[in-house]
Amino acid sequence: MFSRIIKKHAGFLGLVGGITLLAGCGKLQNDANVPLPYYANQLVAECYLENGKVPALTVTESVPYLDDGQAIAAGSQVLALPNGQTVQLPTDVTVTLTLPGGQPMPLRFSPGVDAATGKYHTHIGSTPLVAQAGQQFGLDVQDKRGRHITGTAIVPTFIPIDSVKYKFNDLTGDNKKAYFVTKWTDPGATTDFYRLQLHKGKPANNTETDNDISDKLFNGQSYAQVTTYRFKPNDTVTATLYHVDSLYYDFRQSTRNARNANGNPFAQPSAIHSTVQGGLGVFSVLVSDTRTVYLK
Amino acid sequence: MFRVLRFYIVSSLCSLFFSLPQHVAAQTRHILSGVVRGDDGTALPGASVAVPALGLGTTTETDGKFSLPLPEGPQQVTVSFVGYATQSLTVALHRNQQHSFTLVASTNELGEVVVQGQQTLREKLQSTQMGVEHLSIREAKLLPALFGEVDILKTLQLKPGVQSGGEGSSGLFVRGGGSDQNLVLLDNVLVYNPNHLFGLFSVFNPDAVQSVDLYKSGFPAQFGGRLSSVVDVKLREGDRQKFVTTGGIGLISSRLSFEGPIQQGKGSFIVSGRRTYFDIFTRALNRANAHKEDYSPIPDYYFYDFNAKGNYKLGEKDEVFFTGYLGRDVFGFTSPNGFTAAFTWGNTLGALRWQHVFSPRLTMNNSVGVTSYKYNLGNSVDQFSFNLGSTILDYSGHSDFDYVPNDRHTIKFGAVLTHHDFGVGRLQRSSQDNSVNINADVNYTGAEGGIYVSDNIKASDKLQLEGGLRLTGFQSGTDHYGGLEPRASARYSLSDKISLKGSYALMYQYVHLVSNSGASLPTDIWYPSRLSVKPERSQQVSTGLSFLLGGGQFLLTDEIYYKWSQNQIDFKDGAQIFANNDLNSQFLFGHGWAYGNELYLEKKTGKTTGWVGYTLAWTKRNFPPQLGTTGINNGQDFYPNYDRRHNLTVVVMHELSTRISLTASFVYTSGAPTTLPLGRFALQDIYQGGIQAVPVYPDRNSYRMIPYHRLDLGMVYKLAPSRMGGERDLTFSIYNAYNRRNAYFIYFEQIRDKTTDMVTGYKAQQVSLFPLIPSVTYNFKF
Repeated sequence: MFSRIIKKHAGFLGLVGGITLLAGCGKLQNDANVPLPYYANQLVAECYLENGKVPALTVTESVPYLDDGQAIAAGSQVLALPNGQTVQLPTDVTVTLTLPGGQPMPLRFSPGVDAATGKYHTHIGSTPLVAQAGQQFGLDVQDKRGRHITGTAIVPTFIPIDSVKYKFNDLTGDNKKAYFVTKWTDPGATTDFYRLQLHKGKPANNTETDNDISDKLFNGQSYAQVTTYRFKPNDTVTATLYHVDSLYYDFRQSTRNARNANGNPFAQPSAIHSTVQGGLGVFSVLVSDTRTVYLK
Repeated sequence: MFRVLRFYIVSSLCSLFFSLPQHVAAQTRHILSGVVRGDDGTALPGASVAVPALGLGTTTETDGKFSLPLPEGPQQVTVSFVGYATQSLTVALHRNQQHSFTLVASTNELGEVVVQGQQTLREKLQSTQMGVEHLSIREAKLLPALFGEVDILKTLQLKPGVQSGGEGSSGLFVRGGGSDQNLVLLDNVLVYNPNHLFGLFSVFNPDAVQSVDLYKSGFPAQFGGRLSSVVDVKLREGDRQKFVTTGGIGLISSRLSFEGPIQQGKGSFIVSGRRTYFDIFTRALNRANAHKEDYSPIPDYYFYDFNAKGNYKLGEKDEVFFTGYLGRDVFGFTSPNGFTAAFTWGNTLGALRWQHVFSPRLTMNNSVGVTSYKYNLGNSVDQFSFNLGSTILDYSGHSDFDYVPNDRHTIKFGAVLTHHDFGVGRLQRSSQDNSVNINADVNYTGAEGGIYVSDNIKASDKLQLEGGLRLTGFQSGTDHYGGLEPRASARYSLSDKISLKGSYALMYQYVHLVSNSGASLPTDIWYPSRLSVKPERSQQVSTGLSFLLGGGQFLLTDEIYYKWSQNQIDFKDGAQIFANNDLNSQFLFGHGWAYGNELYLEKKTGKTTGWVGYTLAWTKRNFPPQLGTTGINNGQDFYPNYDRRHNLTVVVMHELSTRISLTASFVYTSGAPTTLPLGRFALQDIYQGGIQAVPVYPDRNSYRMIPYHRLDLGMVYKLAPSRMGGERDLTFSIYNAYNRRNAYFIYFEQIRDKTTDMVTGYKAQQVSLFPLIPSVTYNFKF
């Protein structure tokens, strides 16, 4: 009976289907005029210390979201990046690092790019740091407009990667892919947080996977992080395991949630949980272990 | 402003409750009781049984039963129900007497051409109950629907005081309450998640549903456990006379029902099922594109549900009823290189009810029920597997009594006891070689109980009161909670065409929905009151005037309400809600309040029927600094994302001829509050490379999107009867007829030069969900 009905009304049903498809082809995404309320720029500090490296950090300013660089405050300048993005740099900022013994280490204002890492910095020290687990560093950033950022960071303990391994599926050609397993052992006495990055080739910001992990479910146990089938034969995979503190973990979570909420109607936007006070940003000491594997 | 509002409402209520009743003249009275059924044997809830000469009458209960005290002697009883021929009969009443009525349908066409609601406007004018909306499935089936999928919850969104969760969503937000604060009942059994496909469709198959009542205020004492509304869905009984097959074929799903008698009138049954067929098309599409290197297969998705209802008369005074439901949503994905993932969720419920009529004055209903909701998300790679899930499972028992001691009192009393099993979070990561073995399973139990009594008192011809008291308690582990929930409502007739009404209700909610997203998702978790999570509590006062206009053709109602709530729950930013055995530490607690005015004009008789509703409302929440946080919105008041200042709905249904009915619905609402980033900063991260723009959100919901409006059009065209003698129709719908681009959400993105790909600035983008969508559904019955 259904087939008879469908045959009888096939022309009409086809017309309805056609209209549906045509209607669906319309543009569902359009420019919107969104007048945002006033937003006061804040100082932003981004500083990662590492044992044996000269300390450097970037001090920038947050800006109104739709600002295109016209409204620059006195004492700030605009830095144009190679991809066209602009970053607002305050030029009247003094930065002091406090070393574990309490002695201050001023970082001079010297905007530039680190030749080894390609990272931008605005302030840089003069000698490499010595950072041992449990030591505390302090950060003091202030400009001449009354904005003042402070923060402290404790050096995490070193957690080694126990093993890395990979396995290819049984397929051939483009479908032949491997998953990758990184394994380490969590200390049981403490609440620990990790960041695990997998890179193909030289480590950079274009990670293959980048996970923030809490030991809540495996405290004191051996743990393995497994990827999907995503690596091809002849890939070089570098696993970097950072042992981080809870403040850095929270900062990462909040920036991730904030970014995800821009464009995801189901996500609840998060305020930024900075590890510093008096502005936005992160101040942390990086301790990591790395393994590199060539996938045959 | 709300102080003035509260004063007005309270003073109006006081004037109602302290009005002096006029005594009813003493007279010997007897009770006429029975059942009103259609000619197919189905019980007709909401039918009118009246003695017009005396101005006395009542309406049938959900099972078609009625009980009407009348003076001794011969009485001309009129029984009417829209869509059926009115029946009049003289009954000589010298003692309590039982008499049942069978009404003959005035149309035999699928039952969908009859447009009117079931309760007459005069009965609504005279009822003490306020803030209630009755919807027959006939109305819902007539109205245009998204993809032609009839949805009773979306139809309820067209009523004043009810907001949707967003474009196309079935979520209900009633008078400032959250979507988890609705008590959704299917034949008196709780439905935890009434949605399919992230809220785009409700779980209720229109072929299986008889009617739905939505209570927004003045909650009767037999209901409890949720703060903001009661959505009381009744499944229909099967045909008691003959076997009938009903179904429909739509753009995205098909339905089929089969019903018939059990032992020639002693009982009946109905079973219904439906299934979507997105997956058939997506699989074909995947097969057709399998050879393309860069093609990403579309995951399979479908949902299905089954309903069953049976009833059987054990004797003159006893009848048993069975209700069952099973529904599942299924996502499945298998990648070409061996990765598999599956995500399923859904409700299962069943109930058995025994009804015993002790006498025309006393009826008892005992029922036992089970309901569960669960989701399971799993994937596997080679020997490694991951599984995440949550479950809630309830066993409950109800005992309810209806007692009519005399013609002035209608007393209801009863008790309910529920055992809850909360599987708050189950997470497993394992491998076959045991190198990975993580198990987290957070489970709680809870016991919830309540006893209630209410009395509807006809104090005089003009004044009718209903008072109720509900005592509830909850236990989880060593934590105990409880409270008294007084309920009251009153109606005073200023004239035979004007009624003044008022109500008050206090509600507790002991079970909470844990959701850290802006919308209701299948992964939301139900959580008991325990430790720092105290029961949610709300109180509502409302008052209103109803006017019968146009010779009884129109009813105009104006209601004002004020509601205030404590122990409202939200989350810290970035809360970890999955498999967290310290979930209490993730909550924030605050309070909320809502107030507004609802204007409602309805017409239920004639060739053209429909309603116009306008709501002016405010909803606010406040979560002060606590637990080392700054609260929400830095402790300042904020509007939740379902707050709407203005809401206008216009619904028109017109019977053009015996074969064609036309319908239209129009909705206008103020823009939804949303949270937009006001600032951004650049973050390099550990390595060099692309600098990310991180949004800064200083305030919650401080921006409003553009107003929402939409016109839907529909037509039901009855086809000539088939050779098999059945009935058939084609139901056409045009959703969003003028193709308005309503805002679903707004986000910001970089503007890039098309030739150099350089970032030249930032802009806001508005995303819409549904353009104009025509659809057609073929319905049949034989």
